[in-house]
This record gives sequence, structure tokens and C-alpha cells, in this order.
Amino acid sequence: MPAGLAAVPAASAPYRPLQKRLAASPLALKLAGGVFVLGAWEIVVRLTAPAYVAKPSRILVALPGVLASPPVLAAAGITLSAVAQGLFIALVAGVLVGLLVGSVPLAERALSLYVNGLYAMPMVAIVPLLTIWFGYTSAARLATIVFASFFPIAMNVADGARSVPREHLEVARAYRARPHQIWFGITLPSSLPYLIAGIRLAVGRALVGAVVAEFVISVDGLGFYILFQSRTFHHNEALVAVILLAFFAVVVDAGIDWIVRSRLRWYRAGEKTA
Amino acid sequence: MRRPGSGKDRLVVLASLGAGALLWELGTRRLSPAVAAPFSSTMSRLWEMTVSGELPTTLIGSLVLFAVGLGIAVVAALPLGLLLARLPAVRIALSDYIAIGNAMPMVALIPFILSLFGLDFGAKVLVVFLFAFFPVLYNTVEGARSIGPELVEVARSFRSSEWALFRDVLIPAAFPYAMTGVRQAIGRALVGMVAAEFFLSASGIGQLLLVSARNFDTAGLFAAVLVINILGVALMGLGRALHDRFPVWRGTGR
Repeated sequence: MPAGLAAVPAASAPYRPLQKRLAASPLALKLAGGVFVLGAWEIVVRLTAPAYVAKPSRILVALPGVLASPPVLAAAGITLSAVAQGLFIALVAGVLVGLLVGSVPLAERALSLYVNGLYAMPMVAIVPLLTIWFGYTSAARLATIVFASFFPIAMNVADGARSVPREHLEVARAYRARPHQIWFGITLPSSLPYLIAGIRLAVGRALVGAVVAEFVISVDGLGFYILFQSRTFHHNEALVAVILLAFFAVVVDAGIDWIVRSRLRWYRAGEKTA
Repeated sequence: MRRPGSGKDRLVVLASLGAGALLWELGTRRLSPAVAAPFSSTMSRLWEMTVSGELPTTLIGSLVLFAVGLGIAVVAALPLGLLLARLPAVRIALSDYIAIGNAMPMVALIPFILSLFGLDFGAKVLVVFLFAFFPVLYNTVEGARSIGPELVEVARSFRSSEWALFRDVLIPAAFPYAMTGVRQAIGRALVGMVAAEFFLSASGIGQLLLVSARNFDTAGLFAAVLVINILGVALMGLGRALHDRFPVWRGTGR
């Protein structure tokens, strides 16, 4: 295909480049890309790797069985509900701290150093400490998830609160709005784009945090399922669980996209990513 | 974020750090040292580890792992992303799969790497590489997407050579995006570094964290967390500086 793309066409015929014709049907192109990726994977594994290594054909065979098996469903339920709980706690705490840091100058000076500093820390590093505090229990996993997702939310909300147009706040103050009215009536809605960008980051980090915590503390869940299956050379089954994890990440992202596009059209322009 | 520019701001930052240390000290004094070590004993442990050479050695080991993994990822992903900028059909075909790779929680793949490639340095580099590769590729391809096809067509119709096309059109347009990717990759590679040191053969700062947690040496654990936190802040600063040097608007994007 690359050779065809690079070729300079003859001047005579009405010229329509190959890439244009292909681009007119992106779905076919994307399918071809998928076939290529999966095919390459299959062939490389078949030629070079031992039989237990995951390959698309075997994953496909394993898929229905794994997805229907109660242990996997239970594990997925456990991990996802932990992620949901952790995200909820991080959301509430992150919004409050973010609003505080972003709209109270003194709090900003005192806290932004810590919020920014801890945001930069790889949250994996905190897991051993959390095992001391919470033991080798699911509470340690929840704490990991909260820790992983709190900082992106707090930081983004603080950025958003800082970017609220000053006139809005002045008008509100002139009408004697109370602080909580200003916070939840003006600052929070106007920093919504930032909050959503923060939640997006937080979801990915929360999933990673859950998996890491399960690896370290060996509590039941999708991460532990992956660890166990791959240790016992059930790579295909383990990879189904990985796909499930990635699928959740994609679904949440698409869900947020959908909400933004259908409900919150007005702010798309101001959205900040990563 | 407010930059500590003026002297007064710097003073506030210092005061905030001092207050944090004081709170840390006072808040943990009455707790068991196995639960939380006070600031003072963390600092003395940190000093001990630095003087004994333990900390510098582990830190260098970790940084080598980080740099090799990240370096290979950038060197591999940048040219690939630029190549995809030149081949729009291939780019459209693959971009969704690159996005999936970017969204993939890579930690979940560590058990596979362990059983396929063992737990030596090469396997750990592979982990860091996997964490860092997709952000760079994904963002470079995003940059490539922002290049209007008419730019390439105009360049071609003026008989631009392939090299000139890359030099004057594709690279300047995609590079700022690639730097955004490098910035993200730095953060992820750091996570990958610690994860690799946790789950493959324990080494470097990851080992320090695990061992001090296992021995309930909380002072050592806090010291290690502090070091990795400072490392994170420094590397993030580096990434931001890199990113800010190449603002996106400078390219030929829309």
C-alpha cells in the first residue's frame, strides 16, 4: 500500500489519489487496520512464542467462557465497585479542596504546593505505605484508588476555579451572595470543564491504582485474577480480563464524551485536557 | 499554577513547607513509630541512607531504568508517528488501535511480561517502554491529524522533495504535539519504573519502598516516598519545560 500512496500519478487521467479514495471509507480502513494488528500478533506469537502465550484466535475461543464464569464476574464487580467508591470519595474531597485552593488565595498559597507536588508522585509508590496503615485488606485498595484519583480532580478544579471570570464574582458579591452560593452557584459550574477533564484523568489512574493494589496486597478482584491466571499459564483467560479492564476505561471515556456532547455543549471550547 | 517568582511568594512557599514539616512532626509524635515516623526521624534516616551510599546507588539504578525505557520509547514512537503523518491511509487505519493502546492500563500487562521475559533488567526496560511508548505515539499522530492534506498537496505540487516535506511541513506541525506526549510519557514512565521494580525483580527505589514497608521501617519508607516525590516533581517540571518550549500554535495546525 505505501508504494501506491507515494506514486505520483500520470497527468492525463482525472486524478483521484488512492489515499482520498481510501479515506472516503474510513470504516473499511479501520477494519483493515484491526485485521492487520490482530494478524501480526497471531503470526508473531505462533512463530516465536510457546503455546501458552495469548493469541487472538485462542482469546476469542476463551472469551465467552471467561465472561460467563462467575469468578470473573465477581472479580470484575469487586474491582469496579471499589473503583466507583474510591472515585466518589475522591470526587467529593477533590472538588472541595480544589474549590478551596482555587478561590481562597491563602489556601492556594498554603496548599497548592502539596497538591501539585503529590500529583506528580507516581501513586504506585504509596501502596507499601498504605499496606502498613490499612493492612493487606480491601481498605488498602480503596485508599490507593482514592489517593490515585484525588489529585487530578483537585488540581483541575483548582485550575478551573482560578479561571472564573472576575466580573461574575464581583457581581455576585455586589448582590451579597453568600460564599457557599458563590462556590456552588458560580465557581463550580464554571469550572465544570476542568472538573470533567480531571475526572477523565482520575478514572484511568483509579483503574491502574486498583490493579496495582490488588497485585501487591493479593485481594480478590480483576487485577488479582489477571495475576493468578498468568502465573498458572492461562494467558488467554488473563488477557480477557485485561481486555475487560481496558473496555471499562473506554466505556467510561465514551460515556463522559456523550454527556459532554449531549448535555454540556456550551462549554466544549474551554475544555482542558491532560 | 502560580510560579514562585517574587521574593514574597518564595517566602510563602518556604513558610508553607515549614508549617507542613511542623504539622508532620507534631501530628506523628504520639503515634507508634511503626505507623508513622515523625519528620525528624525521617530526615535523620534520609541522611543516614544518603551517607551510607544506599540511597544514591538505588536512585541511580532506578534512573538508569527510567532513562533507558523512556529513551527507547521516544526514539521508537517519534519517527513512527511522523511516518504515519505522511501516510494518511495507514494513520486512519491504525489510529483507533493506538488510542486503545494509550488508554490501556499497562500495569495489567506486567504479569505477562514477567512470565514471558523473566525479571531481569531487559524485562523491566520493556515495562517502562510500554508505559511511555503510547502517549508519545498517540500525541504525535494527533499532531499529524492536525496537518491539513492540502499542505502536503501544495508542497508536492511545488515538487518538494520528500526530505523537505518532512523538514518544513510535517515535523514542525507534529513536533509540539509530540512534546505533549513526551510530557505525559515522563509521568507514566515513572509509574512504570516503580511498578517494574515492585513486580519484577525488586531493585532500586521500588525495592527500598517494599523492604522498608516489610520491616515496618516507616522512617525509611517515608524517606523513600519523599525522594520519589521530589523526583516526580523534578521530572514533571522538566516535562513542562519541554512542553512549553514548543507551543502547539506555532505549527501549521488549524
